[in-house]
Amino acid sequence: MPGKKSFQALHHVENGLAGLSLILIALFLTLEIFARKLFKTSLPGSGDYIYHLILWITFLGGAITSREDRHLSLSAGIEQFKDPLRRWILTATGFIAATITTALFWSSLSLVLIGFDPARKVGIVPIRLVVLIIPIGFGLMALRFIFHVPGKRANRLIAGLGLLLGTLFAFSSIVNILYAVFFELPPFTDTLAELAYSAANFLTLPGIVILAASALFGTPIFIILGGIAYLLFLRSGGALEVIPSEAYTMLTGSIIPAIPLFTLAGFILSESKAGKRLVRLFQAFFGWLPGGLTIMAVLVCTFFTTFTGASGVTILALGGLLSYILVKSGRYSARFSIGLLTASGSIGLLFPPSLPIILYGVTAQINIKHMFVGGVLPGIFLVLTLSIIGIITAIRNKVSRVPFRIKEALSSVRESIWEIFLPVIIILGYFLGFTTLVETAAVAVIYAIIIEVFVNRDLTLMDLPAVFMKCIPIIGGVLMILAVSKGLSYYIVDAEVPMRLSEWTRANIHSRYLFLLLLNIALLITGCLMDIFSAIVVVVPLIIPLGELFGIDPIHLGIIFLANLELGYLTPPVGLNLFLASYRFNEPLAKIYRDVIPFFLALLVTVLLITYIPWISTGLLKVIHF
Amino acid sequence: MKLLKISIITLIAILSLSIPAVSTSALTIKLGTLAPEGSPYDKALKRIAAEWNVISNGRITIKIYPGGIVGGEYDMIRKMRINQLQAAAITGVAMSQIAIDTITFQIPFLVRTDEELDYVLEKIRPTLDSKLAEKGFKILAFTKAGWVHIFARYPVVTPEDLMRQKMHVSEGNSALNMAWREMGFHIIPLPATEVVPGLQSGMIDAFTTTPLLAAAMQWFGIARNMSELRWAPMTGGIVISQRAWKRIPKELQPKLQAAIPAIMDDMYKETMEIEKQALKIMLENGLVINPVPPEAEKQWKELVRRGFNILVGKTFSREVYEAVEGYLEEFRNNNAR
Repeated sequence: MPGKKSFQALHHVENGLAGLSLILIALFLTLEIFARKLFKTSLPGSGDYIYHLILWITFLGGAITSREDRHLSLSAGIEQFKDPLRRWILTATGFIAATITTALFWSSLSLVLIGFDPARKVGIVPIRLVVLIIPIGFGLMALRFIFHVPGKRANRLIAGLGLLLGTLFAFSSIVNILYAVFFELPPFTDTLAELAYSAANFLTLPGIVILAASALFGTPIFIILGGIAYLLFLRSGGALEVIPSEAYTMLTGSIIPAIPLFTLAGFILSESKAGKRLVRLFQAFFGWLPGGLTIMAVLVCTFFTTFTGASGVTILALGGLLSYILVKSGRYSARFSIGLLTASGSIGLLFPPSLPIILYGVTAQINIKHMFVGGVLPGIFLVLTLSIIGIITAIRNKVSRVPFRIKEALSSVRESIWEIFLPVIIILGYFLGFTTLVETAAVAVIYAIIIEVFVNRDLTLMDLPAVFMKCIPIIGGVLMILAVSKGLSYYIVDAEVPMRLSEWTRANIHSRYLFLLLLNIALLITGCLMDIFSAIVVVVPLIIPLGELFGIDPIHLGIIFLANLELGYLTPPVGLNLFLASYRFNEPLAKIYRDVIPFFLALLVTVLLITYIPWISTGLLKVIHF
Repeated sequence: MKLLKISIITLIAILSLSIPAVSTSALTIKLGTLAPEGSPYDKALKRIAAEWNVISNGRITIKIYPGGIVGGEYDMIRKMRINQLQAAAITGVAMSQIAIDTITFQIPFLVRTDEELDYVLEKIRPTLDSKLAEKGFKILAFTKAGWVHIFARYPVVTPEDLMRQKMHVSEGNSALNMAWREMGFHIIPLPATEVVPGLQSGMIDAFTTTPLLAAAMQWFGIARNMSELRWAPMTGGIVISQRAWKRIPKELQPKLQAAIPAIMDDMYKETMEIEKQALKIMLENGLVINPVPPEAEKQWKELVRRGFNILVGKTFSREVYEAVEGYLEEFRNNNAR
C-alpha cells in the first residue's frame, strides 16, 4: 500500500478538481449571460465545456463519495449484526461492488476508445481525454470498495476477487479495447471472447438475484441498478459499452447542470444563517394561519419544481433550508417535515412553464396551451392535498398561532431582504428572457456566494471549500444513480418491454376502467425506473393510441401520465425522490420510506381521482377557449 | 422489508421474461430514428425492412426504433460505433458530425430546387461515401425532407430584418455559428427543448426550420412570420455501420441498395403532401408568409456567400464545396439550354 501522504495528495487533487469544475460551470454560464446581453455574442463552445464539466463532477464526485462511504444504500439493520458476521457481510457487499465497478471500468475504457471520433474536440481538448474521467472514476471506486472492507487482509483479498469476476464479465469490452489498440489480434481471441461471453452469460441470472438480495445488506443503490443493467445486456448479447454510453448521454443532457448548481446554491444558503432569518420572516407572515408554514413550504416547493421541471432538484436545493425552517419553528416534528418536503418535491409539474408539459404537448401533438390549461385544476388538487395534511397536523398538534404584526413583519423583511431578492432575480431573469433555466441556477450560486460571504458575512471565503465538500459527495452520489439508471431504462427500451406491454393491453383489455387501473400501475413503475424525459419519449407514443382506443381525452391522458409519473418518483422502494431525500436530510432510506408513506397515500388518492374523473382535467378547457 | 424484497424480485422476474435470446448467424439490424412512429419516414423504413427481409430470404431482420426512443442523433451515432445499433436514419446535421463535408448542402442559397438537389446528391455521393467509410459508416440512402425557411416574430424580408431579431441556432455546431456571427446576426445557441420557453420569454425571436417541423414542434405559435425564401434543403440519410454492412453477403448488397430509392421517392411525396396540410393549418392559425423581392434575395445571397467563405477550406473541405458548385453550374447550364 502506498503511503498515507500520497493518498492525501490524491484526495486533495480530487476535491480540488471537483470544486473547480463546479465553480467553472457557474462562471461560464454567468459570463454567457453577459456576453449575450452586452456583446450580442456567445462564448464559443461554452455549452460543450459545461456539459463535459458535469461529467467530471459526476465521476470525481462518485469517487469522492466512495472514499467517504457515502453512496446511498438501504443498509437498514446492518448495524444489528455483530462481528465477525458484520465483517463478512461487508466483505460480500464489497466484493459485489468491486465486481460491478470493475466491469464498468473496462466497458467505459472501451467506450472511450471506440465510441468517440478521435478527431472530435471539446473546445480545444480532445474528447477522448475528457471522457477518460469515466473509467478513471469507476477504477477509483472499485479500489475503494475493496480497501474499505474492514478486518483482516483476507477479507480485502476476497473482496479483491471482484476485480477478476468483473474482468470476466467485461471480456467482450476488453477484446474491443485490444482491437482498438493493436488493430490485429490472433484469431483465437474472438473464440476466447465468445467463450467468456457464454461463461459470463451463465452467471447473469443468479447474478441478478444475488445483486437484488444484496440490496438488503447495504450494497449501494447505483451498484444494484448499474449491475442489473450490465448483466441484462450481457445476457441479451448487447454491447456492454452501452451503460457508460447512456451515462454519458444522461449527464451531458442540457438541463442536468441545473442539478449540481441548485444543490450548491441550496447548501450555501443552508450553511449560512439564512435559515434563521427566514424562520423569522415566515413566522411573521404565515404564523397566524393554521398550518401556515407548511402551506408556505408546499407552495415554495411546487413553484420551484414547476420552474425547474426536472423533479427532484427541489429536494436537493430547498430541502435543507425548508426543513430547518419547519423544525426550528418548534411546531413540526422532523419526521413530519421530511415526509412533507419529500412529497412536495414531486408536485408542481402540471403548472406553466413546466418543461415536461411542453415536451408532452410536442410528443403527443397536442396544443401546449391546452395542456397547460388542463393541468391547472389537477395541479391545484395536488397542492391542496398536501396543504390540508399540513393544516390538519397543525390543528391536531395544537400548534400555537402568532398574530400578524406589521412591525415584526417589516423588520423581518429588512433582515432577510437579500435572500428575498434571490427568487426575485431568478424569476425576473427567466421570465423576461435574460437567462435560461440552467443559467438561473448559475446566477443563484454566484448570488448566494456574494450575499452570504460579502453582504451578510455569515460565511468567509475560507468556509466555502467546506461547504463545497459537504455537497460534492451528494452531487456525486445522486448523479451516479441517475447515470446508471439511464442504462437500465435503455435496456427496457432495447428489449421492447413497453411495446410488448402495449400490444398485450390492446389484445387483452377491453374495459376502460381496467385500462386506467393498469395504466396507473404501469406509470407508477415507469416513474420509479425512468427519468421523466425518457418516459415521455418512450412511453407517450405507446399510450396515445391506447387512449384513443378506450376513448380517453388526449389532454386528460396527458395529465394522468404526468401526475402518475410524479407519484412514481415518490414510490418506495426505488422512487428517485426518496433517494434524494435520504441524501439531503441525511436519514437512512428506510426512515424516509416511513416518513413519506402517509403523504404518498394521500397523493395516491388524489391521483386516482384525477385519473377517474376526467372533468378535473378537461373542465376548465370547456370554459376557457383559445 | 419483506415487501421490498418481494417487489424487487417481481421486478426482476418481469425484466428477465422479456429477455430475447442471443442472436445466431442471422443478422439483426437495429435501426434508430427520430421520425415518430407512423410518420411517412417511419413507414418507409418499415417498407425497406420488409423488402430486405424478402431479398435476403429472411436472413436480415431490421428492427426499427422510431421516435427517438434509442436516443438523440448523436447518441445513435455513438451506439453505432459501439455496435449497439447497426443503422440509423439521421438528419444532415447529425451526419455532418460523422463527416463534416456532408454539411455542404445545408449552406443557405447554394442548392435552390429539388431537381438541383437530386442531381448534386447523385454526383457527390461517391466522394461522401468514401469520407464516411473512413469513419466506419456507409450511406444507404440520402433523404430529402423539404425546405428550411426563416420563421420570426417580426417579418423578415431583408437580412437587416433578421439582424434586428435574436435568432436561435443549435448548440455544438460552433463553426457554423461562427459564420452567422461573422455575417452580423445575433445568434443564441440553445438546445431544442429550450426553444418554446425561449420564444415565450423573448430570449429568441427567430429560427430556421421546415414548415412541417415548425408545426410539429409548435414553434410557429409565437414566431408567426415565415419568409418565403427557401433557405436551404433539409437533407438527411440512412447510414449503416461498416461492421454490419460487411456481414451482409457481397452478392446481396447491390440488390438491397436497389430496393431503397423508389421507397424514398414515395416518402418524399407523402411528406410534402403532409407539409402542405400543415402549412394550411398554420395559415388558418395566423401564420403570415412574407414575400421576398429579387433585390432582397440578392442581398441575402451575397451576405451568406461572404459569411461562409471563411469556413471553406477551414471547417469543411474546399474540394467538396467546389465540386458541389461545379455540379450545380453543370446542371444549370444543361437546363438553361
